[in-house]
Amino acid sequence: MPKRKLDPLPSAAFQILLALAGEDLHGYGIMRQVEEQSEGRIRLGPGTLYSSVQTLLEAKFIEEVDAREDAKLGHERRRYYRLTAGGRKLARSEADRLADLLRVARTKKIFRGEYV
Amino acid sequence: MSEKIYACLLRLFPAGFREAHGEEALQLFRDRARHETGFLLRVRLWFDLLADLVISIPREYHRAQPALIGAAHQHLDGAPTFFVLGNESPRAGALVSGCVLSLAALSMFSILLGRLGSYRPQRASVAQQQSAGDAQRSTARVGAQRSGGTGENARLGTSPVRQFPAPGAAGSGQYYERRDASQPNPPARENAQILEAQSQPARDPNTIVVRPADPNLDPTERRRVTDAVANNIRAHYFDPGVGRKMAETLLEREKRGDYNVVTDGDAFARLLTRQMRDVSQDKHLEVVYSENRLPERPLAPTPDVMARYREELQQGNCTFEKVEILPHNIGYLKLNSFPDPAICQSTAKAAMASLNHADAIIFDLRDNRGGFAGMVLLISSYLFDHPEYMYDPRFAPTPESWTSSPVPGNQLADKPVYVLTSSTTISAAEQFCYDLKMLKRATLVGETTHGSAHSGVWYRIDDHFGMGVPETKTINPYAKSDWEGIGVEPDVRVQPGDALVTSEKLAENKLRQK
Repeated sequence: MPKRKLDPLPSAAFQILLALAGEDLHGYGIMRQVEEQSEGRIRLGPGTLYSSVQTLLEAKFIEEVDAREDAKLGHERRRYYRLTAGGRKLARSEADRLADLLRVARTKKIFRGEYV
Repeated sequence: MSEKIYACLLRLFPAGFREAHGEEALQLFRDRARHETGFLLRVRLWFDLLADLVISIPREYHRAQPALIGAAHQHLDGAPTFFVLGNESPRAGALVSGCVLSLAALSMFSILLGRLGSYRPQRASVAQQQSAGDAQRSTARVGAQRSGGTGENARLGTSPVRQFPAPGAAGSGQYYERRDASQPNPPARENAQILEAQSQPARDPNTIVVRPADPNLDPTERRRVTDAVANNIRAHYFDPGVGRKMAETLLEREKRGDYNVVTDGDAFARLLTRQMRDVSQDKHLEVVYSENRLPERPLAPTPDVMARYREELQQGNCTFEKVEILPHNIGYLKLNSFPDPAICQSTAKAAMASLNHADAIIFDLRDNRGGFAGMVLLISSYLFDHPEYMYDPRFAPTPESWTSSPVPGNQLADKPVYVLTSSTTISAAEQFCYDLKMLKRATLVGETTHGSAHSGVWYRIDDHFGMGVPETKTINPYAKSDWEGIGVEPDVRVQPGDALVTSEKLAENKLRQK
């Protein structure tokens, strides 16, 4: 069931996969990372974030690692998430797909000058 | 505080989600709240959260569905099955608030029930007395409720002054004063109409006026009313043969004891109305019951009342609410009554003159409660290039029943005309609609009109009963019946709210074809 939900891969899920590509993160960390990598355009709300996290967990594209404190955020213990090998593969194939699309878009000359 | 609010909102998520990630979601909220301070950032935070709730709650419940779909396979034919959406037992708080809400809803319902009951006590008792499936009965009942503007006003307890046809007032077109038979063509025909909505006792040897009645209908009162009704129709109905037959029917039923079960005035009035109509097929006949005392010595309009009427009309621009030119040079006139031409002639003429160069004209009568036939004629005069008979079920034709067309300088005689109607288009406004429709001079757009011709003469029987009796037979040149009880059907049926737009489109199309 979850796999079907991830095909096509929703943008939120892809962003989470990309956010976790660098390092293991807790929920708030993922949210901040996504905000940063999308240049402030995407701020995942708790519902969307954890709903996607749950789906990705169930499909084993990410996994939980031991809960620990984040020194920057006080003494609360937080659940951290890590990208699995399957998740990395999924992110790569999604990136490839987008790159293909981008190539097509370039040949159709739909970009303004600065992107070409 | 805001964390508590968000914790409450989180409860909207399914239990599964709350168990898995509720604490984390709250933690994320705390982190954001800690970092995003300042008014604008806070507003952004809450906007994000609410948008997120709207999007993700349905998705989470959708995610919970597959479990149910699996369970549905166990369903046995004919056996009802139940599914539990949440896998936790309800909290005590939820149970308490559920109880309080159901109690509140229940008490609200019973209060409403009680209030409705006290508004229309007679209706309830009538419903018991009248069998449900009798179609003719119910038609008669609708007719009785619709036509009796006087009766309705009296039931509502309005004072005689309020019953005066004030500009735009509800039900202004009602019964008129009894005319003296020796005066075939009354000099002040409009004056008679001023008296609409005012009950006029006919001091006439043939009219039985009985002494004030007890509002509870007792056998004596019932007999008195039956006798008075019978005498009035015998004496005043325009067709003496039919009048006699109706009177005999009523008296016979009274004698036979048919009416003994009726102890409610309103029900009795409607029963008599129905039985008279059964014999005569004349929907203008009506007996009216009023819970409040019917005014005894009405109601020649005193100079005082006249002055107030005049002043009200002048202040309200004679109920010409809007006169304007719409796009595509379509003239638009919203008229909320047909006011007394003696007072409003100049306003009406000015309004029509200002529309003189329009290519089409829309009369908006959706809130027009009626008024004076004279004004109907005055306005209609602009729509024809030759005198045209405007049929009015209230009066036999006189030379004044023709429009005074052509109006010098008028250019509207051949322009397309649209009339907007609704269920509150009443009486004289219905005459305008009916005649223009029958003369194929206008396209009616909207709803069926109210269905009140008010062509009877009013007789007060006692403090609580009165009746309308048509005394003149007017020949309808178009059909057997006018709009009494049925209304005037529109040519283009749309909701009243859409009528203006629809008529504008129709007019545009028509003008384009030219």
